[in-house]
Amino acid sequence: MKKQKPDFFSAFHAWLEYGGSSLDREMTESLENKPETGTVESKNKPKSKKKTPPQNNPRRAYADAWWYRLLALAVAAAMIWLLAEAVARMPQFGNADTLADSELTEFYVEHTKEETGAMNIVTGIILDYRGFDTLGESHVLFIAVCTVLLMLSIYGEKDEETRLKRNEMERHFEPGDDVILQSAARLLTPLIFVYGIYIILNGHLSPGGGFSGGAVLGAGLILYQNAFGYEKIERFFTYKTFKWVSVCSLLFYSLAKGYHFFTGANHMDSHISTGVPGNILSGGLLLPLNFVVGCVVACTMYALFTMFRKGEF
Amino acid sequence: MIDILRQVVFAFFLLAGLFIQITAVLGVNRFRFSMNRLHPAGMSDTLGLMLMALAAAVYAGFEPVTLKILLIVALFWITSPVCSHLLGRLIRETDEKHFETEAKEWKP
Repeated sequence: MKKQKPDFFSAFHAWLEYGGSSLDREMTESLENKPETGTVESKNKPKSKKKTPPQNNPRRAYADAWWYRLLALAVAAAMIWLLAEAVARMPQFGNADTLADSELTEFYVEHTKEETGAMNIVTGIILDYRGFDTLGESHVLFIAVCTVLLMLSIYGEKDEETRLKRNEMERHFEPGDDVILQSAARLLTPLIFVYGIYIILNGHLSPGGGFSGGAVLGAGLILYQNAFGYEKIERFFTYKTFKWVSVCSLLFYSLAKGYHFFTGANHMDSHISTGVPGNILSGGLLLPLNFVVGCVVACTMYALFTMFRKGEF
Repeated sequence: MIDILRQVVFAFFLLAGLFIQITAVLGVNRFRFSMNRLHPAGMSDTLGLMLMALAAAVYAGFEPVTLKILLIVALFWITSPVCSHLLGRLIRETDEKHFETEAKEWKP
């Protein structure tokens, strides 16, 4: 037998050889079992589920061949060269001549500030010119959370006993009262929340916006929950909060955007002023829309985390 | 003269950071035991990141960017050891092969 390789490589080879197609795996197993299935005893149970360990597999021999290693090196070198080349060809940061020669780009750059009141052109594009797209994205997040709730929720278990056992089992390896984690969380959670709110509220002025700020807020919630447990976080964030915040945010987004589209398409005045670009209260609908998108994303992040972790809020 | 000195310091920090990061990558991939892997992983997030960030700070000079870089280092020095601690604790609690754990009873 050959010397066993380190974990990473053997796992990778096992994945290469067993993770592929199931047909492949069955063929390999039947090949492996052939000399053993000579006796009558083993013919009675031909479906042995025992997997052959990777180092006994004859098909693994090619992995040790010199050309295989050379090929792997060549592929890795080619990938590195490709990525380095792509980075080297990137336009210089802050260079005014690197704009793509596109009519659309020019239009956005020239008109976003006066038409939407956003200093951050990206926010002006995704929440105003392509607001419908962002509306769909928020709803996709909500649908994803609904699906995960359906599949992983602990309330899906039929009998009370299984539910309790699962709950107990999944709570057993939680950090619990970890003083180190709690000290770090006590210091970091307020900073993370403030930073997330800053990103959301400054979305139309500086890089950022609802999605990134919401992700930061969700991370803060997750950190707080990890450090202090469910009892502490249920004082201000429960399943009910999640439900109401998500649904109200999406409803507000749909109604506001529907009103905006309706008035815009019919050439009516929407009575929403864009204000002075650069002020914190400017940009018309951009600020509230950023806020609701941030709420939805934060709730979604936290809900996904709790569902994948334990199946219960 | 001061420019050359600055470039020398910058190069020193950058090379030292690169050395630490490469060591960490090698260690994470080549060690067999999870506790051993934890050590280079934590090293790259604290020492390696600090050296690289110091190199960037020296390169930038006294600018507002320097303060931001140092803030990033401070944030990572608070969070990364906590992550390593939690990971180590989880290994200690679930690795039934090397430690006396309760993990066996809790297998589904």
